[in-house]
Amino acid sequence: MNSVVAGITYRALLGRRRIFLLLLLPLALIGLAVMLRVFGGDDPRSAELLMAKFAIGTMLPLLGLIAGTGVIAPEIDDGTIIHLMSKPISRPAIAQTKFLVAASLLAVFAAVPTYFAAWLLVGNEDGLAAGFALGALVAGIAYAAVFLLLGILTRHAVTIGIIYALLWETLVGSFVPGAQKFSIQQWALTIADQLSGTPFLTANVTLGFAVPALIIVTLGAVLWAGQRLRVFTLTGDE
Amino acid sequence: MSEIYDIGYRHYDGPRLGRGYSTRALTVHSLRGVFGLGRTARSKIIPFALGVIMLLPAVVSIAMMALMSRRGMSYSGFAVYMQTVVAIFLAAQAPTVVAPDLRFRVLPLYLSRPVTIAEYVTAKVIAMTAALFLLLAVPLTVIYVGELVIDMDGPPQTKEYLGALVMALVLALLLSSFGLAIASLTPRRGLGVASVIALYLLTSASVPVIFGTLYSTGNESGAAWAWLLNPFWLVDAVQVWLFGTTPNVPDGGYPPGPVPAILVVVLIGIGLAALAARYRKAAAR
Repeated sequence: MNSVVAGITYRALLGRRRIFLLLLLPLALIGLAVMLRVFGGDDPRSAELLMAKFAIGTMLPLLGLIAGTGVIAPEIDDGTIIHLMSKPISRPAIAQTKFLVAASLLAVFAAVPTYFAAWLLVGNEDGLAAGFALGALVAGIAYAAVFLLLGILTRHAVTIGIIYALLWETLVGSFVPGAQKFSIQQWALTIADQLSGTPFLTANVTLGFAVPALIIVTLGAVLWAGQRLRVFTLTGDE
Repeated sequence: MSEIYDIGYRHYDGPRLGRGYSTRALTVHSLRGVFGLGRTARSKIIPFALGVIMLLPAVVSIAMMALMSRRGMSYSGFAVYMQTVVAIFLAAQAPTVVAPDLRFRVLPLYLSRPVTIAEYVTAKVIAMTAALFLLLAVPLTVIYVGELVIDMDGPPQTKEYLGALVMALVLALLLSSFGLAIASLTPRRGLGVASVIALYLLTSASVPVIFGTLYSTGNESGAAWAWLLNPFWLVDAVQVWLFGTTPNVPDGGYPPGPVPAILVVVLIGIGLAALAARYRKAAAR
């Protein structure tokens, strides 16, 4: 953990146009929640639908992608990462710092709006808001780690991340139930289900699988990212 | 002007191929770039993999027609069912059309030739439209050829097939004008990809929520309008109006009349205007 690296990364992510993207999706979620409330759709069922489909299913992977790759990929893209890597800072520490930055941004831009939107709809009933917020937080941390690693591994990190989040987690997961075991989204829903007593949400993955999987994926991705950064070579654009 | 720089080199007196030629050349170059042709093998993987995924339902459809003599996916519903893949293709490839020129600041080099901003933007839009059209039209044509070869009962659905092709072209133009306008806002490819897919997901993920709310509160005519938020359903609504196909939505239908068509035209106009405005600004830098 290095506070200077963290400061630079925060500035790069929040000081540019990227922040509009980070704000757009949470605002849309809260806007939809307000709309549901105004039109009288603020029952637990539609709250659960909004949370599972929009907050966890759409907003979280996208924000994870933007924050997770955004902390490192632009620097690799324009070569300025070389200035960071030539300093006497351990490279795994750089990777860990960048992971913490991405995870903290996801907590602010994904988990807090999720809690707020759910609270707008059903208050504190059934622990729905707390459950989904915790699910979004934990899954956001895992997404940050995975997409940070992806940003170091490949220049097409965003595209591959989208293909994973949209095709694997959503499309393949709905046809081949086994694919849902390897989906961060489903792990988040398992945790949300555990905490909230709503009968409309059914988890497809057991808690005994989801929690170790989340921990292993997060730690593994951060460690691997550090190792990759140690042996990193900067190559030109294609 | 030429006298200032005339330091005695021989003049070019060969044929001048003109602006049409340069625009065509730029279009073909951009179209090849969308599919990664003439670039590294790595940049070919994603467009061709997505193209193969688009062909899978065509293969399944032909197999269903041949083995069970039942129709699989309808021509009119193809784009709506495959919308995720088309949107990923748009998001992944639209930035490759516009981002490098902005990023490496080679736009002045293009504009120092007899290529104007209007021609540059036209070439880029045509290239992206052609790429998206190919992505949709090839599987449709494969299904149609399969249908003709297998010789299904009843007349071939030529009208529906041609209608789907026309709507594929409209959809491709709508998607590419918007996709390129958004992607051209940033010189970074990754951010461009994320912006395009974020806008698509915003429209597609909010539609079921808005529709469900309005539908459950009994406002069924209002709920029909919710579908028009998503470009794929918007174009499908135009198809229903123009060709009388069945709407590809779970409940109810689209709002009747020519309003969706007017919306499509207006949106294409907005997309193209935004793109032109963006490039006028970028060229001035």
